[in-house]
Amino acid sequence: MTLTRRSFLATGAAASAAIGAPMVLRAQPSEYVFGASLPMTGPFATAGQLVAPTLKMFEDLANEDGGIGGVPIRTTAEDSGYIPQNALANYQRALATEENLVFYYGDSTGFMKLVAPELRGENARLMGSTSFASELADPEKNPYQYLAGPSYEDQFDILLENIAAEGGTTVAFVYSNTEFGRDPLERGRAKAAELGIEVVLEESTKAQGADIPTHVTKLAQANAEYCILQGYVTGVWPQLIGGARQFGLPTKFMGTFWGMEKLIADRVTAEAGPFLDGYLGVMPYRYSYDAETAPRYARYAEYQKANFAGTPLETYLPTWGLQSLCAMELGLTALRRVHEEGKELTADNAAEALASIQDWDSGGFFGVPVSMEGNKIGTGRVYRYAAETNLYTPASDWFTV
Amino acid sequence: MITGNLKASYAADEQVFDNRNKRAFLYAALLGLAALAGFADDYVILVACQMGILLIAVVGVNVVTGYTGLISLGHAAFVAVGAYTVTIFHEAFAGAIPEGLRALIAIPVAMAVSALVGIIVGLPSLRVKGLYLAVATLSANFIVIFLIEQEVFAPWTGGMVGIDTPAPDFLGWTLDTKREMFVLIAALGVLTLLAVQNLFRTRVGRAFIAIRDRDYSAEIMGISLLRTKLTSFAISAALCGLSGALFAYFYARILPEQFELALSLELVAAMIVGGMGRTMGPVFGVAVIVMVPEVIKSIFGVATGGEAGVAQLLAPLQEIAFGLLIVLFLLFEPLGLNHMADRALRALNRWPFAR
Repeated sequence: MTLTRRSFLATGAAASAAIGAPMVLRAQPSEYVFGASLPMTGPFATAGQLVAPTLKMFEDLANEDGGIGGVPIRTTAEDSGYIPQNALANYQRALATEENLVFYYGDSTGFMKLVAPELRGENARLMGSTSFASELADPEKNPYQYLAGPSYEDQFDILLENIAAEGGTTVAFVYSNTEFGRDPLERGRAKAAELGIEVVLEESTKAQGADIPTHVTKLAQANAEYCILQGYVTGVWPQLIGGARQFGLPTKFMGTFWGMEKLIADRVTAEAGPFLDGYLGVMPYRYSYDAETAPRYARYAEYQKANFAGTPLETYLPTWGLQSLCAMELGLTALRRVHEEGKELTADNAAEALASIQDWDSGGFFGVPVSMEGNKIGTGRVYRYAAETNLYTPASDWFTV
Repeated sequence: MITGNLKASYAADEQVFDNRNKRAFLYAALLGLAALAGFADDYVILVACQMGILLIAVVGVNVVTGYTGLISLGHAAFVAVGAYTVTIFHEAFAGAIPEGLRALIAIPVAMAVSALVGIIVGLPSLRVKGLYLAVATLSANFIVIFLIEQEVFAPWTGGMVGIDTPAPDFLGWTLDTKREMFVLIAALGVLTLLAVQNLFRTRVGRAFIAIRDRDYSAEIMGISLLRTKLTSFAISAALCGLSGALFAYFYARILPEQFELALSLELVAAMIVGGMGRTMGPVFGVAVIVMVPEVIKSIFGVATGGEAGVAQLLAPLQEIAFGLLIVLFLLFEPLGLNHMADRALRALNRWPFAR
């Protein structure tokens, strides 16, 4: 057959119909959905209420940058009351009602564990969360779940390495009698032994309403140079430090991510005096006021000023909000990479792309380029609280463990 | 209009479903459940399973509180015992019992262990009543959770961090999806309701009611308070154990915090809202306790587009709406939804002669 102009056009049209039609049929969706469960009521309502507005900010800024391959994203959130089963129901509802759900943000370790076995086939989505539980960072067991920072075990490592660097020789572990409190203990013991630091006390307390004088007395008897507090959010840790200072203990107190919120430290300082001065703790992220050479933070600040006027978020982003934003930015980065590779936005492809995030310039969250290793980012830095300025300032370089 | 039930034989007199309306309701309910299993989406199945699991436990609470008049605020402990027993059983007999038989044995074992714990917890009921008994049973809840969380038992219970649960396998049929679990939960839920309905047509069941209405009168009539009260606790705890076993099979992981006081209160609340001492009471109660928050959430979600900023403001309102609903029910229908349904059905049946 000779190729005439007419036959060429006809063949071309037929070929485009054959190849192009499925492309048209599989047209891009009008939006991608990022779902979330947040504890907007219940014991952690303070955190949930402060995190909720940041979702809209994330959505607006991501869409300014073209969403995912030009398709806008939409965020949606529901209250869980910090009950894992409620969050699971929220996730299932989102799966059933949101056709283009590509990412989900969970609000507790309990939920992440409960949902993990459900994430199979059609029901799987890429999933970040508020939890830094060590158990979740396991790509073999939970390929779709990740930590947007170091696990609690890593945070203990960072603190212990900092103690060793300062020449400390004794440490006490004080933790809430919860899963959250106990998470890094075993690793902490091993790491302390490795660094030649003696663990002189391991003290378990209630998560709320602990018997402060008893714990302070034990701490005084142990006479540790450093004390690491783990498993607290708004209560117990400030009272413990206050009790120890009244007792005249010179122990240096340290905390992990959930015990590092400036709003809490400021409130305690305003109500009870400057006894948190010098409190140290590990933070995966830079505080929002540490915006120098952090273009992302500068952009957030601009948005906050314009949209959150008259609220605490106008000039400051709580660490809890930073965590959610970082988790969602990582998810978005992974999904964009999947799209750029021309693949479907499935959880498997997203998990693969997530693992490819190496030497990531986070634009501000972390002070150094970071990598996703084993579904977590093991980077953080020690910050110190100053009661006079009401600011946490860096007390170490960035550690990657 | 049905004005009475003609009973021409002893067999007819012994029927649970003694008229065509009741039979029609049963068949419709079974059809409805089958349709759910076949056509509902995963979210509806999840909520239905949550309701089924809670229903069996509320039926258990209803036996001891609704029918026997012994207030218990510790029934979450029995649910926990059931859940942990099946999990430990599967682990302990992993090699000894073939996989296809393990769940078939584990469920009755979980019920038996819960019943045993129920008898122990029920002991104070012989000496104390009312609020005092409520406090005594409350402590059982705390003690059981405390024991589960102890490091010493962590190799079996997982301690604070909880433990992964097995998927049940019935003679080679592994129930590893929510839909398959729904079939099991629905079947056991219906069976539990029928069993309890029948229980109160037996001597033991009537003895429970006699104790509820006036315990010393019951004793004078020859009912052994010791045996009957403990039997009531045992049956009740066994049903909660069954609920716990299903809970463990349904969720991939159990955590001690899932069985704390909040669950005990939820069980009692569902029973009160539904109607104490009525067979269908728990069904209505569970529907309100589980479904209403979901419906409120869905309505609010549709109304607001699920935007986080709005959800943030509305979340507390949802809680208030739900609380208000319960208060209004208790104010205007203290006998529970079951009573409301009775009146509606009676009016329908006698229409237009009565309203």
